[in-house]
Amino acid sequence: MDISEKLRILSDAAKYDVSCSSSGSKRKNVKGGIGNASASGICHSFTADGRCISLLKILLTNYCSFDCAYCVNRISNDIERAAFTPEEVISLTMNFYKRNYIEGLFLSSAVFKDSNYTMELLFKVVYKLRVEYKFNGYIHVKAIPGADEMLIKKTGEYADRMSVNIELPSSNSLKLLAPQKTKEKIIKPMSFIGNQIKASNEERKIFKNAPSFVPGGQSSQLIIGATPESDFQIIKLSEGLYNNYNLKRVYYSAYVPVSNHPKLNEIKKAPLLREHRLYQADWLMRFYGFRASELLNDKSPNFNKKLDPKTDWALRNIHLFPIEINRADPKELLKVPGIGVRSVNKIIKARLVHYLNYEDLKNLGVVLKRAKYFITCKGKYYGDVRFDDMAIKRKLSNGVDNLNQISFFDLDYSRNLKLLR
Amino acid sequence: MLDFIYDDTFEGFLTAVYEAYYSKEKPQIIMRNSFYEDNLFSNKKIILTDLDKFEKVYKAINNKISHEALENIYFTYLSDIKNCDMMAYDYIKLGFKLGNQIDMHVYDPTVLNVHKISKKVAGEVHAMLGFVRFSMIRNDMYYSEIEPNHNILQLITPHFVNRFNNENFIIHDLKREKASIYNKSEWCIIDFSKEQGEKVMNKNNNLFYEELWREYFNNMAIESRKNPKAQKRSMPVRYWKHLTEIK
Repeated sequence: MDISEKLRILSDAAKYDVSCSSSGSKRKNVKGGIGNASASGICHSFTADGRCISLLKILLTNYCSFDCAYCVNRISNDIERAAFTPEEVISLTMNFYKRNYIEGLFLSSAVFKDSNYTMELLFKVVYKLRVEYKFNGYIHVKAIPGADEMLIKKTGEYADRMSVNIELPSSNSLKLLAPQKTKEKIIKPMSFIGNQIKASNEERKIFKNAPSFVPGGQSSQLIIGATPESDFQIIKLSEGLYNNYNLKRVYYSAYVPVSNHPKLNEIKKAPLLREHRLYQADWLMRFYGFRASELLNDKSPNFNKKLDPKTDWALRNIHLFPIEINRADPKELLKVPGIGVRSVNKIIKARLVHYLNYEDLKNLGVVLKRAKYFITCKGKYYGDVRFDDMAIKRKLSNGVDNLNQISFFDLDYSRNLKLLR
Repeated sequence: MLDFIYDDTFEGFLTAVYEAYYSKEKPQIIMRNSFYEDNLFSNKKIILTDLDKFEKVYKAINNKISHEALENIYFTYLSDIKNCDMMAYDYIKLGFKLGNQIDMHVYDPTVLNVHKISKKVAGEVHAMLGFVRFSMIRNDMYYSEIEPNHNILQLITPHFVNRFNNENFIIHDLKREKASIYNKSEWCIIDFSKEQGEKVMNKNNNLFYEELWREYFNNMAIESRKNPKAQKRSMPVRYWKHLTEIK
């Protein structure tokens, strides 16, 4: 089989993994070497579905010994199979990189033979790229659940990011749909990587030249809509992952039906709006100081289709509003629907030298479509309905907010937060 | 009132600012030569670029206003937008009044304009770091054609020098007929015509990886999530002409 054929099969098998980020690492080039990592990440292209291409995203092989119902590569699925040699992966990466097509490599794999065997193969590729080819571009590599910790540690010393995908948001669903995987098997490498990152950061505070370990952090992915979990269950899980395992990102992937397995939820179209709402909530938890239990609860466990999670929250907590734009502290400003981190930074800067009125806010580029119902400027309220939660709700749920905003979440906005913290 | 016309260089622009402060006759406009349209009634003064004067203004901005302001001014100058010289000049004048607080006055149209433009330029710089596409011309020689809105060659080249410090490359701005050239140790910007570019491009006969990249690109889109609007918003169509995967 030629390399073009393999690339087709093994990129097809990898494309449902949504992570594309190439951010968080500042790896430098070395003399005689090639490449470096850009802390903010760089997108190189955008596919027809609007998602960014930053890394060459491929599987080493799609020969799999597991039989996870949701997955295209499950052993019982009748599809074309292929496997790259390490040299093939390296020549693709180097040649794409030199032409500036990509920021680096995102290497994953089906479980070929067993976990250790697969992890060893992944390690070999990463090691060769870094040491023999002096490649310093971004490398994101999957940790295979069940692999030996020594192997994961060795790999992490050469990678910029590692990830273990949880995929199914509860043990029940795992048991049902991914019989060879258990919650423990997935959590174990995750917590191991989390601890190694922490230890390496500590060490590097003292010894500048100590080896780095996954400087771009670890991430994970959850599949949305294949199983019956509620939005509340999902964001509680994410919150736990951020708090307990120091994850950099959790990705949500609206389930694209690649299987009509009887145990799966019957689904015709990928639930894109739901995925969008989860990303919004994820942002609120990471950058805006919200807790999962503030956004949803057991009584209303799913997000409102017509209102974004922040507006929904604000309307349920209308007693906290309106707030005065010239006096409110940054944390309060962040909770106003429609006002994001950038706007807050601009507002607090500007009001040091100027008493802001409504026109000024427009000039600053603050989006007021929703915000105007929750703020006052110089004491005056500018909403076009009276200040009342029901009236505002009616006004704002008229237009379902634009699904196109999805692409915005592909960017890494974390660097804007430096100013705030 | 006079029209101050300078030679299109940043040094020339700051010399013009110097003249505007110290000569008796005040400018009605400051404009680069390539934008200027002479007419019967125009009363123009040609500014001769003077490196001492340039340096004085440069240092004054850096010390009395701020380094951030200096960067905003440089980016605005590079934007190549019709009246960018006047916008930068107004901003400098205000800057000498307000000092290092100028960038807090984001509600002021003078400051706002310059911020908007320099943000646009910075945005295109970041986008181009991803959208530059090299073709392999010889074994160790790479060539790329770009047509950016703003004059950003000098802003993007250092990134590629760091990244590809062991390769030779040329990045050719077709619009401005300039190119940055790197030979594994130094880089500079030279005049480079479209015809010269065509000659170089003709030597590109190693299309194997270009073909693979195109296939990979097409294969990565998930059919059931198609969203061409989002694609175009993130990757404006004006850049497609030079993107290997979609041109």
